[in-house]
Amino acid sequence: MTQDFDVMPGNKAVAHGVRLARVEVVPAFPITPQTTIIEYISDFVADGELEAEYVHTEGEHSCMAVALGASMAGARTFTATCSQGLAYMHEVVAQATNYRAPIVMAIANRTLGWYWSLGPDYSDIMPEMNLGWLVGFVESNQECLDQTLMNFKVAEDHRVLLPTMMSLDGFYLSYSQERVYLPEIEEVDEWLPPYTAPYPVDPTLSKAWPSASLPSQLHTTYRRLHEEVMEDAKKVIAEVDRSYMENFGRSYGGMVERYRCDDADSLMVTMGSMTTAARRAVDRLRDQGEKIGLLKLRFMRPFPREEVVELAEQVDSIGVVDRVVCHGTGGGMAFMDVKSALYNTGVRVPVKNYVMGLGGEDIPIDDLYAMGRKIIRDKGKRLAEEVEFVEHAFSGGAPPVDVESEHCVHPGSDGCAGCGASIIIRTLLDTLGPNTIVVDPPNCAGVNYGGVVKVPWVLANFASAPAYETGIYRALRRKGKADKVYVTSYSGDGGTVDIGLQSLSGAAERGESIIWLCYDNEAYMNTGIQRSGSTPMFASTTSTPVGSVWKGKPQRRKNMLMIMAAHRIPYIATASLAYIPDLKRKIKKAAEVTRNGEGLAYLHVHQPCPTGWYFDPAKTVEVGRLAVQTGAFPLVEVDHGEFKLSVKPRELKPVKEYLAPQRRFRHISEEQLEILQGHINGDWEALLGMEKEGRLPFY
Amino acid sequence: MISEIDQAKVKGLVLNDISRKGGKYVANWRVYRPVIDHEKCVACGLCVTYCPEQAIEPGDDRKPVIDYRFCKGCGVCANECPQDAIEMEKEETQ
Repeated sequence: MTQDFDVMPGNKAVAHGVRLARVEVVPAFPITPQTTIIEYISDFVADGELEAEYVHTEGEHSCMAVALGASMAGARTFTATCSQGLAYMHEVVAQATNYRAPIVMAIANRTLGWYWSLGPDYSDIMPEMNLGWLVGFVESNQECLDQTLMNFKVAEDHRVLLPTMMSLDGFYLSYSQERVYLPEIEEVDEWLPPYTAPYPVDPTLSKAWPSASLPSQLHTTYRRLHEEVMEDAKKVIAEVDRSYMENFGRSYGGMVERYRCDDADSLMVTMGSMTTAARRAVDRLRDQGEKIGLLKLRFMRPFPREEVVELAEQVDSIGVVDRVVCHGTGGGMAFMDVKSALYNTGVRVPVKNYVMGLGGEDIPIDDLYAMGRKIIRDKGKRLAEEVEFVEHAFSGGAPPVDVESEHCVHPGSDGCAGCGASIIIRTLLDTLGPNTIVVDPPNCAGVNYGGVVKVPWVLANFASAPAYETGIYRALRRKGKADKVYVTSYSGDGGTVDIGLQSLSGAAERGESIIWLCYDNEAYMNTGIQRSGSTPMFASTTSTPVGSVWKGKPQRRKNMLMIMAAHRIPYIATASLAYIPDLKRKIKKAAEVTRNGEGLAYLHVHQPCPTGWYFDPAKTVEVGRLAVQTGAFPLVEVDHGEFKLSVKPRELKPVKEYLAPQRRFRHISEEQLEILQGHINGDWEALLGMEKEGRLPFY
Repeated sequence: MISEIDQAKVKGLVLNDISRKGGKYVANWRVYRPVIDHEKCVACGLCVTYCPEQAIEPGDDRKPVIDYRFCKGCGVCANECPQDAIEMEKEETQ
């Protein structure tokens, strides 16, 4: 049972759990601070350390659906997300329960916007709490690994067969390094045999499958049965915890962990990573002679009612920490559950709620110590206030620099040195002028330029920015201002070609007179360079790494020009930051078309990214120019169906010249290079042919 | 505009107020400093167009002037200058 250890972040510990469990299907979509979980897993698959179907989905809704399909078909399935991503997959999350799919999902907790924050609180997991999943919280990186393995064992047990969420606090666990002991895979194999679905959706194996439909007369019955299954899961969770101890030498107590509770007369209740700080606060109070104990809620669903009641009978005061507010109830989530668990038991003990650490603010030992003091003070008392918000003053960031400038963007930004997106946003806004509204689906530009533009900048949700634009445009049209204010996106390629495509297609087909500008840096740069539907073939990204098995992204990129042309919109153009006059002309044309109410104008602007493509930041414009001159990114326009090449080099340079400065292509073999050159030659011939025809068919 | 509305009635609303925005000081990012040789410069304006930080503006004689408060030292200006009139010089380290 001796185990090797390594020092690693929580996200890597989860990924090791996935590798050790020999997960068969992993659908993935990045979101901070979860992303590195699916990146570490892609590293394992790229290097042949895990033989799994890895699915690069185009958004979380699909990601959960892939997980559900795979699990229903009988495969051991894992995925991970958090925050906005979890909210976006919500309806599929609910569906997973009735299909009794034992998916294991890691949630690297992050605040659900409003307000936007990358830091963790439980506003993301709170709306998922009552959908019938098992929901647990871990405290340490070791627990991340161990609980991942235990979750498969619990979820796949035929007495349970339920999907399982494991919350690990973003940043505090996801990115913090700790020592983690790794069991041998052969020992895990013995303890966790392959998943056997009792009713797989596989006609070669089974004649019956879980159904989503039920007469309404039976809903109440089956909901009651589901509550019984959740109760049964408590026993299985306890059994698995004991058997994990026997096999791997670590135990966490099952549903809850009690810390220094034996003779306690007051109690602190916590969950997740804050528990470590709470232990130290309890130690300090114990050193001062106070008999305070700590209850860590390891599972919130099913809720450990019996354990809470048992301790409540013993103590005279309880304080519950909540890292979330259930708005309209006045307090937090764990508080509601603890209180309601006690109400009909006859146990009368004051329960006070302390709401703290929202938006990812640190919960320091001192705050927990002060809270412990108040819990002790409240022993046997009738509470005047049952909820306290623990608030701190904000010292403020650096003030903006006063500077005279006629541009629609202030100078300086948080963008990377040499960022091309800043050249494009300046050109866009200077051309459209101050009466412009920018709608921004999440991307690096939102982080970098939202704070320095002089026009309204509306942060939209990832999958629906074209609909935000539609709403704004229709309101302005209703008020007679549609020809006075421009509505444009500043979207990345993810928000355009992947997760945003459905909404964009809807707006295009409806003929909304809005501008869609996609700055295409050919990957999800905001989450750290994962492949997108616009990533060129063979490029190495953090989700298509080069290993002994994988050799970069195996697919060709989407042809957005033709997708948009299929909508017969009045104006479509590709452009580049290396050809500014051409870009300006195209923005003006888009402005004209939308001002006239003719329909959607689509601009697809190539944006070399020194950070994501790994080239010297001084070469941003040079690389952009080479993309055009080699035919890797041709500049074209479709004006009311008339097709034209905007830049037509007499002879294309070899694509090698474009690829050479970029380290994302440094692994490329002669065969791969030949394939890429072949694609470019073929595409160029096709474009020349289209120009000769002039008008696109079907327009 | 909307001044007649009693805005003080609105409680707990976080605003994105463009009247309170400004430039962002980024000079401490810089490792190399672009230095323009105004003898060689022909005032073509390409560095102004391509500066990702909008840190370069034309001066009185149309020749570019760098506001170093907003320069990250990326080197795009020097790379694009057709006259090779911009040198990237290592910043003095403290």
